[in-house]
Amino acid sequence: MYVAGIDIGSTYSKAILLDEKRKVIGTAVRRTGFKLGQASESVFEELLTAAGVDRSGVTYVASTGYGRQTVTFRHTQVTELTAHAHAAVHLFPDTRTILDIGGQDIKAIRVDGDGRVRAFRLNDKCAAGTGAFLEKTARYLGITTADIGPYALRSTNPMEVSSVCAVFAESEVINHLSNGVPAEDIMMGAMVALGGRAVQLMRRVGLEGGYMLTGGMTHNAAMIKALEENLKGSFHIAPNGLGQLNGAMGAALLGLRRVEKLLADGKSIPLTAANLGPAEASIRRRWSATAVKKPAEPCKSGGDCPVVAKVMAHPPVGTATA
Amino acid sequence: MSTETLHPTQTAEDFDPRAEGQRLMKEWYAQLETANARNAAVANVFVMGNAVEILRAFDFELVFPEINSLQTGVRKVSEEYIRLSEDYGMSPDVCSYVKADVGLILKENEHPAGLIPKASLAVASNMCGTFIKWAEIWERWLKTPTFVLDLPGQRAAGWQVRPGDAQHSADARWVEAQFQELITKCERITGKRFDMDKLAEVEERVNKMVDHWNNVMALNRICPAPFNAMLDGLTYIGIMNVHRGTEEGVEYMRQLEEHLKAKVARGEGRVAEERFRLLFSGTPCYVSMRRLVELFETWGGVFAYSDYLTFAAGGMDATELRYDTSRPLESLAEVTAMAAQRGLSNQFFAHERLAQQIKDYEVDGVVFHGIKSCRFVSSGMADTRDYIGKRLDVPTLYIESDLIDPRYWSDAQIKNRVDAFFEALQQRGGAGPAAFKTVATV
Repeated sequence: MYVAGIDIGSTYSKAILLDEKRKVIGTAVRRTGFKLGQASESVFEELLTAAGVDRSGVTYVASTGYGRQTVTFRHTQVTELTAHAHAAVHLFPDTRTILDIGGQDIKAIRVDGDGRVRAFRLNDKCAAGTGAFLEKTARYLGITTADIGPYALRSTNPMEVSSVCAVFAESEVINHLSNGVPAEDIMMGAMVALGGRAVQLMRRVGLEGGYMLTGGMTHNAAMIKALEENLKGSFHIAPNGLGQLNGAMGAALLGLRRVEKLLADGKSIPLTAANLGPAEASIRRRWSATAVKKPAEPCKSGGDCPVVAKVMAHPPVGTATA
Repeated sequence: MSTETLHPTQTAEDFDPRAEGQRLMKEWYAQLETANARNAAVANVFVMGNAVEILRAFDFELVFPEINSLQTGVRKVSEEYIRLSEDYGMSPDVCSYVKADVGLILKENEHPAGLIPKASLAVASNMCGTFIKWAEIWERWLKTPTFVLDLPGQRAAGWQVRPGDAQHSADARWVEAQFQELITKCERITGKRFDMDKLAEVEERVNKMVDHWNNVMALNRICPAPFNAMLDGLTYIGIMNVHRGTEEGVEYMRQLEEHLKAKVARGEGRVAEERFRLLFSGTPCYVSMRRLVELFETWGGVFAYSDYLTFAAGGMDATELRYDTSRPLESLAEVTAMAAQRGLSNQFFAHERLAQQIKDYEVDGVVFHGIKSCRFVSSGMADTRDYIGKRLDVPTLYIESDLIDPRYWSDAQIKNRVDAFFEALQQRGGAGPAAFKTVATV
């Protein structure tokens, strides 16, 4: 039995395939581009090829990320916050604070020992703390995304990039360049600035020991250095490049848990395009609330207002979405 | 439920609060459209600290510029008005209510709901610093006579005014003196003599409305909540403001209470399956309110209460804010001073107030909505949120957009936050993944 997790991010689409023992069978990463539906299909195809598994072998598909609704063949969907939390605690059980730097947002998530989200903060409507900011800076300096890390590590005197706006920060970069500042110092300066913003977001969620970094930045040694210096602590980083796949892995793990529950309850798992191929995709499963009946307090006749404060049972015990 | 108080042909089930609310608003705008032609006295007022009762006693027709601005948002044309004022030179950081109103002036009072009449008087107050500057715009551009009420606010931290204490009495006398001045001004503008009995009649009607209002709010403590505080509640508060002290207003609130009581008796809620009860703190995003509520209701989340329903009406929910119609003017001054204190000091006691409301309405989580337009109402949210989350262990969500500027609404970002919030809420009640914890073999 295989379960796939697909994370359609704003910049990259990631997919992972797990077996019933939660062992990683294959992974795939590709740029999302602007056709999200196609991106999910392509990354799934790549995943199947990489894992050497046929469509019909995939029992369940869980999607996450900004484009999670565009994965038409999904069985379930979950936000990346829940997914990251789940995978982080699965990989490193002592994780309590997660930092995820994505292409267009940063997230700080505080989790409990069971991988449940206790609190989260996302950056506001500003891109100066995101991966896209670094990519733009690199583009100005003529460096490829893959080279950002090694290039910045050569820096001896990181230049201050203070602007809170990604677009205005670019003007600052141009200004530094025209003043003859070496490109590696500018690149490292941008990372220090980004690191400062990211750690600030972690503080807002409440710093609790057991830090984990996820997202594409886990490939970037210079960025990890900048973050750890600012945090004065070290991050757990998933091995074998799984850091970038953390969201997808969380979705897959949640999907697997769901499958186990369905099987334990003796229920069947519906087929979707994931098993049948895209042409036969017809049913789109949607999340639906389980019926939870709460009693109503009937009106009493007479008197001005019939309201009697009633002790309500605590939030209904919902079945997990995944 | 007793039906004898209802109109013979109408039952509580027939009454449609939304349609009736819209009808009343439409009528009000239609009335305003002809006000100048009828030579009626027109006053611009704000929803907080406005001495509406005095103005009603002089038969002023009331224009609420804040409601005009929010209506441009509801009708999805606010951006056009805002851009006009920005073209004129206003900064993107200025309150979008003000900018929509400046846009309205630049469009020669052409509002999507009809033509807005020229005012013969504007009453502002220091309940919001922007009110004063806003009134100055009318005063200088349109030569509108302006009266600014000085309502005493917070004197020191950790202190709240109590009815009848020395400070409150002094404040009430200070406010009453200003009312006397306002009355003289109204007499000069309208050419009518002030009628104390008429003021008492208006106050009597406001008292009735406030009683119904408090009952309506209390009905939402019931599970399932019969209305959504941030959708239906906005219609109700619109009527409370626009029709404050009118016969139509009393009748609407009375029927509303009957209607909701009947709904509660049938065990009917706002949503089919109420799974989470929430509290909304902050101001609405009028352009996308329906969308926002939809994002919550698809998860079975209903806003059982919102503090907006308290402060947007100048603190009318407190039971002690009733008028003593045997001494109308003194009582008006006392209530105005008290409501102003409540409105202004709310910022300092927001955490205590919310803690009480969380208990009263038995909510599962609190949603904070910060707005670009007003950093004043948004800045304290960080502390309040911290208190609610850490001390009361109630989950909170912070989202940000604006009152009516659609450019600050980012659907994907907000949806993501809302979904993650509900997943976390659900996890609090559901079984954790601990049972399946095994380390991945890589």
